[in-house]
Amino acid sequence: MAGVLADSEARDSDAPDAGLSPAALERALAEEIRRSDTLARVTEAVASSTDIDTCVQVVIDGAREISGAAFGAFFYNQLEPDGESYALYRLSGAAPEAFADFPRVRKTALFAPTFENTGVVRSDDITQDPRYGLNAPREGMPEGHLPVRSYLALPVATRRGEVLGGLFFGHPLPGRFTARDETLLVGLGGQVAATIESIRLTAGAMAELTERRRAEERLKFALDAGGMGSWDLDVATHAYEASDLCKRNYGRAPEEPFTFADLIATLHPDDRPRVLAAIDSAIRDGADYDVEYRVVLPSGELRWLHARGRAAQTADDGGARRLAGVSLDITDRKRADERQKLLVNELNHRVKNSLATVQSIAAQTLRSSASPEFFREAFETRLIALSQTHDLLTRESWAGASLREVFDVELRAMAGEDRVTFAYEADVRLNPKAAVALGMGIHELATNAVKYGALSVPGGGVDVTWTVEEDILRMVWAERGGPPVTPPARRGFGARLLERGLAAELSGGVELNYDAEGLVCQMALPLRALEP
Amino acid sequence: MKTLSSLKVLVVEDEALVSMLVEDMLTDLGCAIVGPAAEIEEALRLAGSADIDAALLDVNLGGRPIFPVADALKARGVPFAFASGYGEAGLSDEHRGAAVLQKPFREADLRRVLEGLVGETA
Repeated sequence: MAGVLADSEARDSDAPDAGLSPAALERALAEEIRRSDTLARVTEAVASSTDIDTCVQVVIDGAREISGAAFGAFFYNQLEPDGESYALYRLSGAAPEAFADFPRVRKTALFAPTFENTGVVRSDDITQDPRYGLNAPREGMPEGHLPVRSYLALPVATRRGEVLGGLFFGHPLPGRFTARDETLLVGLGGQVAATIESIRLTAGAMAELTERRRAEERLKFALDAGGMGSWDLDVATHAYEASDLCKRNYGRAPEEPFTFADLIATLHPDDRPRVLAAIDSAIRDGADYDVEYRVVLPSGELRWLHARGRAAQTADDGGARRLAGVSLDITDRKRADERQKLLVNELNHRVKNSLATVQSIAAQTLRSSASPEFFREAFETRLIALSQTHDLLTRESWAGASLREVFDVELRAMAGEDRVTFAYEADVRLNPKAAVALGMGIHELATNAVKYGALSVPGGGVDVTWTVEEDILRMVWAERGGPPVTPPARRGFGARLLERGLAAELSGGVELNYDAEGLVCQMALPLRALEP
Repeated sequence: MKTLSSLKVLVVEDEALVSMLVEDMLTDLGCAIVGPAAEIEEALRLAGSADIDAALLDVNLGGRPIFPVADALKARGVPFAFASGYGEAGLSDEHRGAAVLQKPFREADLRRVLEGLVGETA
């Protein structure tokens, strides 16, 4: 809007009907209508503006149009960094450059009433105002200032008295602003204040809303990242709200309905009473709701959930109005816990079985021992034989071992170890139990050979051969070149273990033949009892 | 006190060394041993038809639970006790409360349990 210099004839008096000609009255009326129209238009524009820049510009442009001011400006009630001058906010009727080169408005005697909200300053000739030119060093308008004689300044303040800024209007000629102008412009100033305040409130609310949205997004992100669903139960109505992830924990798609009754129905029947009791307790006593339970999803799948929550909003009777919290799928952790428990149980079982095995070795070694020294020697070597098989199995994580490996660990470091020959087409995999049993049997054979048999003399040796036919392992331990063999008068521990124990445990047959040229042990063991 | 003399005891145990120990203990107590069985099939056969007064059952037979054998004995009215490294925790729900020997056990423990079993049927 270009600067409109209003018709000065209409400005001569505040009362258009005071003894004027009909033509002048008509002009005055037309002028009054024009100003009313302008006022209505400006008022409308101010009210509908959504940013302070637009609002202020509309007002100073409109006010100039109404008052016939040559210049209009809005100074913000905000001190510049120098601490004493005010920031020019908007300008009308002159280019901003007109103000660029000279010092800013200060709270001088002339400007103070505006910024302190003590009243309107209207002057027909400001240069004649007693407050004008009192301020050193300039004592008047600075050089190059827009030429102002007529002057109108009004504060823009909220209803609570907060001064937002000031509206300033000027004209190079004296006597341009009437009391009527002042009234209209004061009204506009009030609207500007109200609009600026409203825009600020809206901006504040928007900022708060944005901040809340961000916080909510952060929370959602954290919940999602943690795999946590969130939920909220209305205690009185049992209305239940669940996040998408919460629904997923119960096997529901985001768009599927999921009520509190659905939740109860999804709980594993064995866990239901416990969960309901925990909910009751949280509602009644304000106890922390913290419970782990199983759910049976619509697909039939069983999952473990961990829910935590707290009563929110206390009702009149002291109970809770709402119960809110999070739920987390802990199935993997629970399964790991169960595996762990199983492993510990299994370990305990194995240890107890091993102790029973050791007990058996001790009891039977004692039965066949002539003296404590003999007992100790025999018991210790048997214990170590057992331990060596355990070591072998531990190296393979108790998945099993091969027959040759078992031979190797049991023969290791025995005298004549190098005089044991092997002949077989393929090695045989053994489960841990078979490995332990065969290890013990091989130990007994080897010990006997070293003490009394083929390995007790330099020229003797042992041939170990095995074949697998029709799922049966046939193994032969044949001693040769040893001292002449005679069957023992009494069967010892080794013979009993091999012929009775091993045969029974491995569901096969074991035969000891005391041939004259050397002991022969033949085994026929079904693979089903051996294989892992 | 009940005598265990010539009591016919079915032994089901899949570990040779443990089985030998139990056999020795039972022999010392004057019992006659039936078995020992190291496999479920053999154990079931003996439990169903052998002439037995009582049974001692290893809970885990090469990874397979012994409970079908226990059920067969129950059906015949033959008293039995479990022997297990797991203790009572290794029992299935329907056999909870049955006599259990926690491995390793002493001969005196075995005697006490057997006397209890024989007392039940006396």
